[in-house]
Amino acid sequence: MTALIAVLLLLAAGVWFGATVDAVAEAAVAGRPVRTALAAPFRRTALMLSRQAIETEHPDTLNHLLAPACYLVLAAAGLSVVPFAPGVAVTDIATGLVLWGACEALVVVVVFLNGWSANAPLPLIGGYRYVAIGLPAMLISMFVLIGTALPAQSLGVSAVVESQRVLINAVRQPLGLPLFLLLGLSITLRGPFNYGDSADLVGGTQAEVAGVQRLLWRGAKLAMLTAFSAMAATVFLGGYLGPVLPGPAWLVLKTALVMLMLVAITHLVARVPPARMLTWLWTVLLPLSFVDLVWAGLEAMR
Amino acid sequence: MAMTALARMAARAPVPVFVATGQGWLASCRNLAASVDVAVVTNIREAAILIVAGEPRDEDRDALRRLHDQMPHPRATAWWGARPFAEAGSAIEVSATDDPGPLLRSAFAALLARVRESEPDWLPDDPPNPWQGEGDHGQGGKGMMGGTPYGRPMAMTADDLRDGLALDSFTFTIGPFYPSLPPGLALELTLQGDVIQSARVVRPPLDPGEDAAGACRSMTVGRMLRLLELDALARRCEAVPVEDRDAVNGLKRWIGASCAMRAIPKGLGRLAGDDARARFTRMVAALGDAEASSIAGPGGRLVDLLPGLEWNEALLVINSFSHRDLVALAPREMEQEEDSEGSAEQREGHGI
Amino acid sequence: MTLSDIAFWLFSAGAVWTAWRVFRTDSMVRASFALMLSFFCVAAILLLLSAPYLGIATIFMMAVEMMVMALFMVMFMMNPAGLNPMMMVHQHKVSIGAGVAAFAGLGAAALLTDLPHHAVAAGKPVIRDLGTELLGGSMLIFETAGITLLATMVATVVLSSRSGRFGAADEGSRPPGLEPGGKPAGRAPERDSDHSHHAEHGG
Repeated sequence: MTALIAVLLLLAAGVWFGATVDAVAEAAVAGRPVRTALAAPFRRTALMLSRQAIETEHPDTLNHLLAPACYLVLAAAGLSVVPFAPGVAVTDIATGLVLWGACEALVVVVVFLNGWSANAPLPLIGGYRYVAIGLPAMLISMFVLIGTALPAQSLGVSAVVESQRVLINAVRQPLGLPLFLLLGLSITLRGPFNYGDSADLVGGTQAEVAGVQRLLWRGAKLAMLTAFSAMAATVFLGGYLGPVLPGPAWLVLKTALVMLMLVAITHLVARVPPARMLTWLWTVLLPLSFVDLVWAGLEAMR
Repeated sequence: MAMTALARMAARAPVPVFVATGQGWLASCRNLAASVDVAVVTNIREAAILIVAGEPRDEDRDALRRLHDQMPHPRATAWWGARPFAEAGSAIEVSATDDPGPLLRSAFAALLARVRESEPDWLPDDPPNPWQGEGDHGQGGKGMMGGTPYGRPMAMTADDLRDGLALDSFTFTIGPFYPSLPPGLALELTLQGDVIQSARVVRPPLDPGEDAAGACRSMTVGRMLRLLELDALARRCEAVPVEDRDAVNGLKRWIGASCAMRAIPKGLGRLAGDDARARFTRMVAALGDAEASSIAGPGGRLVDLLPGLEWNEALLVINSFSHRDLVALAPREMEQEEDSEGSAEQREGHGI
Repeated sequence: MTLSDIAFWLFSAGAVWTAWRVFRTDSMVRASFALMLSFFCVAAILLLLSAPYLGIATIFMMAVEMMVMALFMVMFMMNPAGLNPMMMVHQHKVSIGAGVAAFAGLGAAALLTDLPHHAVAAGKPVIRDLGTELLGGSMLIFETAGITLLATMVATVVLSSRSGRFGAADEGSRPPGLEPGGKPAGRAPERDSDHSHHAEHGG
């Protein structure tokens, strides 16, 4: 029960923190006053709540409504495997990493359905494009996660945390965290990996959405950002482990750190055209994830 | 009437506006980007106020009406140095020399407080293509494909450009208000998947005029940055004061550090020995120069560069040319089509 | 009736109902994802059977597989949105025959097999056991089956694609030029069926 409350609290705080940091970073890069950016998330929320929701011509209404909701649920489900302290997790199961992987895979489905169900060309192209990039990105993350399971000799997230008592995985497997961050950008549709909601498609899967629906999708993306950051902090930065401060505090700090990294990358790094990214994913990044896996295996046998 | 807390909170946000640029108004629109009162959005679905900046071309009027009707309620239209359409009821009129900022703010607050009435549609809410009533499910077309089910044109099999495989092609028009294209340019594209099979200029870009070269350049670089998913940097670029050397040099450093140039594939859209990356690099270097640095007419046609390119690459190629070059590269074509398209809406039959 | 019994019946009904929707819906994308939901219900039943790894892995695999299936079907065959209404069933007689035969076979297998009915002891390392089974005693069988399946897939594509991407395979298909009207790319086809000498290479 405490774990469930902790998950919901962390999600809510993460959405607020993510929105604020995003607005501040955006204002700083855009050269606009940073002070008003602190209130910007609330104002934007109020604005979206007071606008009409759009209905496109003959959409697949069920999927159009379900997609943002499912995205939010996936964020919560993903976060549920993260332990806040030894033994305190909502789903403290021996297959936590696989459950997280299932959430990643379902994000691809949800983003595609969101683009497809609008029944309009630009969202559809966004959805297709996201599948092409999102699937290989997910494959890479799976190899990287298996790498972290090797020293723990378990697919459970708690065991992965405990295996980092001496040395955190970010140091032990130096390729792991950078590769995993790529997935984070991909499943939260951000910056250099924003192929679903991209600007060249006037917002891609969000091209035809306004009002509450836009707000929901935005909130779900930030919730996923929180869930991913907590997962990355747990698997690569030692999660709740740390001196002096209590475990949950360490987890929150590390989660915030990962979020800051992702937000900075979002606004500072350019995105390459999708065809080029697809080539890189299959010919450079996927082999790199194999190298990471071999590295992890050799290191674990030592 | 008392404003609710929600409306009061929402009214403090920058006014989301979509700018429909008319003849000779490119430079003035740039000033909007620097205003703290408004946030220029690139999707009409996010906008609350449509700004018609300058008299629209006669042929763009229908597209403008469609654009207006895509805006979610509550909505309004501001006519900045333009004469309101007959159907526009209580129009916000801003004289050509005024700063629209304060007027937009008060209108926006009134809209949210429901003091000002939201504008109704300007066009009848009918499907663009009538129901065909053919085929097993009344979709028209042939077999299970093509036709206009629910009045929406569907793709029909056509030979692929590259290998003779018959795949579904889909024709639609983007522009003249598409945010990733220079104002005024409208293209009819035939797509298979997201690869462009053929392109045709429906409307040429607006002529920027002599004194707007600097403004056009920062707008073009801004569009390019947005295509590279650097929205915040694009905003900085659009708002940067051109005469402030330090600000411009700072901007160039930001752009360089973001790997924006290296993100554009080499050899893309090669014309007269230059590829898109080289043209963009030169354009960024020329930011802050007042005079037009047009390379004396690159020659050739824009529509010949696009077939075979993926959507994003095609847009990168288009925006790698300066506005002035594009005017030369995309001239008005002889056979005219009677209507064109708004930002995210589409129309048109299939490319059989 | 325990809680897990109720859950079993609910998921079973869900699996059957979504599987039925696969054939009643009029869009390929909806059909794919209805099938995905059906598999998810089966995965939930696997979870009830104390097979956590298999259950969650089924969800994971089916999400990816159905996504790829929907993408390819729509990409290659249909109108872009896949919202154009279409019939999802064809070749009725063959399908009915195959369906009845498969149902009878699987039903018989389920009824006639002496399935274990003792509960899995709490704390039994089921995932470790599964891993030991897959990568221990049965490794040879699983790996052989895997390679055989892969070889079958490749062979099926080779055998079924006489009409290749660039024309019939046995008539010497050649890809078009890299630029319009350019020289054909790739290797020139052999001039005759005699494999002792090779024709000159083009491109």
